[in-house]
Amino acid sequence: MSSFAKPISGVHRTSVDRPLRLVTGRAGTSVSLDNVELSFADRRGEQRILESTSLDIRAGEFVCLLGPSGCGKSTMLNLIAGLLAPTKGKLLANGRPIVAPSPKRAMVFQDAALFPWLTLRSNIEYPLRLQSIDQGEREARSEELLRLVHLFRFADHYPHELSGGMRQRGAIARALATDPEILLMDEPFAALDAQTREILHAEVERIHTLFRKTFVFVTHNVREAVRLADRIVLMGTRPGRVLREVEIALPRPRPANDLRMSEIANDIANIIASEVEKVAREEADDAWLAPANSVRVGSHRHLGGSI
Amino acid sequence: MILSLRESAKDGVLVRAVVTTSLRLFVGYGVALALGIPLGVALAKQRLVKQTAGPLIIGLSSIPSICWLPLSLLWFGLSETAIAVVVVLGSLLPIAVATENAVRLVPPQIERAALTMGARRLRLLLSVTLPAAFPGILGGAKLGWTFALRSLMAGELLFVSGGLGQLLETGRDLGDTALVVGVMVVILVLGRLAESLVFERLDRVVVRVWGVAT
Ligand SMILES: Nc1ncnc2c1ncn2[C@@H]1O[C@H](COP(=O)(O)OP(=O)(O)OP(=O)(O)O)[C@@H](O)[C@H]1O
Ligand SMILES: [Mg+2]
Repeated sequence: MSSFAKPISGVHRTSVDRPLRLVTGRAGTSVSLDNVELSFADRRGEQRILESTSLDIRAGEFVCLLGPSGCGKSTMLNLIAGLLAPTKGKLLANGRPIVAPSPKRAMVFQDAALFPWLTLRSNIEYPLRLQSIDQGEREARSEELLRLVHLFRFADHYPHELSGGMRQRGAIARALATDPEILLMDEPFAALDAQTREILHAEVERIHTLFRKTFVFVTHNVREAVRLADRIVLMGTRPGRVLREVEIALPRPRPANDLRMSEIANDIANIIASEVEKVAREEADDAWLAPANSVRVGSHRHLGGSI
Repeated sequence: MILSLRESAKDGVLVRAVVTTSLRLFVGYGVALALGIPLGVALAKQRLVKQTAGPLIIGLSSIPSICWLPLSLLWFGLSETAIAVVVVLGSLLPIAVATENAVRLVPPQIERAALTMGARRLRLLLSVTLPAAFPGILGGAKLGWTFALRSLMAGELLFVSGGLGQLLETGRDLGDTALVVGVMVVILVLGRLAESLVFERLDRVVVRVWGVAT
């Protein structure tokens, strides 16, 4: 938390000559899913991955998609990114149909996906190169971003020379390079230790507060979702679907060990447990599904238990 | 041995043989790289290519490349082309197969990340997929090099004039063990030189940059 004021003033200092757009969030809808459905065809026929889903994400909102493994969180993120096309329904970003990936919707993956053959600096400059931005501006911008994520000293390191947490910070910096409207993050901190994750939560929160970009953040960790989200979208599995949405109205910046966060996390774990039971009861009529159900309940319990 | 070599060196036979062999090697190996890498990429990325050419390539790769020499001689006569075909066929397949595997093993995340940043098609291939696959492709290139050298030596020993292989044959005809051993040493030095000048350097780059060993 002590690092809070520093980088903000750093950005202000440099923002005069080369401004990072500080406020992207306008009033209105940033992403909207309108009865979006996704099926894959495989040997056993059509597999419904995502049941008809409608969701509106406000500009500047921080949304967490929370759900057990296999419920389609990554699928939903890939749909928003434009990496996947829906089987049915419409997806809009800022009112325009999503037809292909776009630098306006940047993505951060679980294992960084930094390019191993490029230094951190070149990684951050890569998307700028794609946009034919000249060298001077590229350098200025990558320096600014490296400072933003406190990695300037490591600019010339290759990804394998960085820790997992540094790689994720680098990936976030690269995602910010093209000044996207929307940041899509797929379990970006799942592989990190608790301390590092806490630090990165604070960083992400700071970046969100600073730039007011729309964040869609996937996690299966209830605490993490409560720590970060303005709104949590709870998802269930088989087929993937939205169970419920929960607004988190806690003020920011949120201290890492806020008691209210634990309470909300408990509530959400209870919601998940009851939803799971409900679904299990509904499907238990069908004797053939019973074994599958028991497995599923187990995985949900695990979700709640891992808080 | 040194004496025999020096004699051959004096009338320029050795130098000419080294130059001839090196040229054949570079041309054949160069063509194999230029064809093998794109072929490997196509095998990995285009399902149609994989389905049609895939089984053919696996079949062909079980024929030792020197077995192509008679056919190649029938088609191209006793020419440089004939030997080049054998060298190319010898090293092309391992290069293509290694490239295919390396491209397949590129983590999808890497390419997806590039897609979201706006990289498409050729740009994506050249600036992301190929660099990401580079350590694996280098492994194939090394394999291809040894195959090229073997195929060429076999070809020169059997049929084709000029080159170190033929010098070996000459040594045998003359009963000159020293010359034979000498030429073998020269071949060894050539192979080692390529290893240390090119491949070991690239290996070090891969270790330094990618942080992995090939
Ligand atoms: N290309 C594909 N073809 C067929 N099925 C797929 C494909 N991609 C994903 N699936 C299936 O879709 C479902 C949802 O996958 P997805 O990766 O979106 O889940 P997730 O919620 O992100 O899980 P995790 O928390 O483990 O990352 C899974 O059951 C998976 O098996
Ligand atoms: Mg996932």
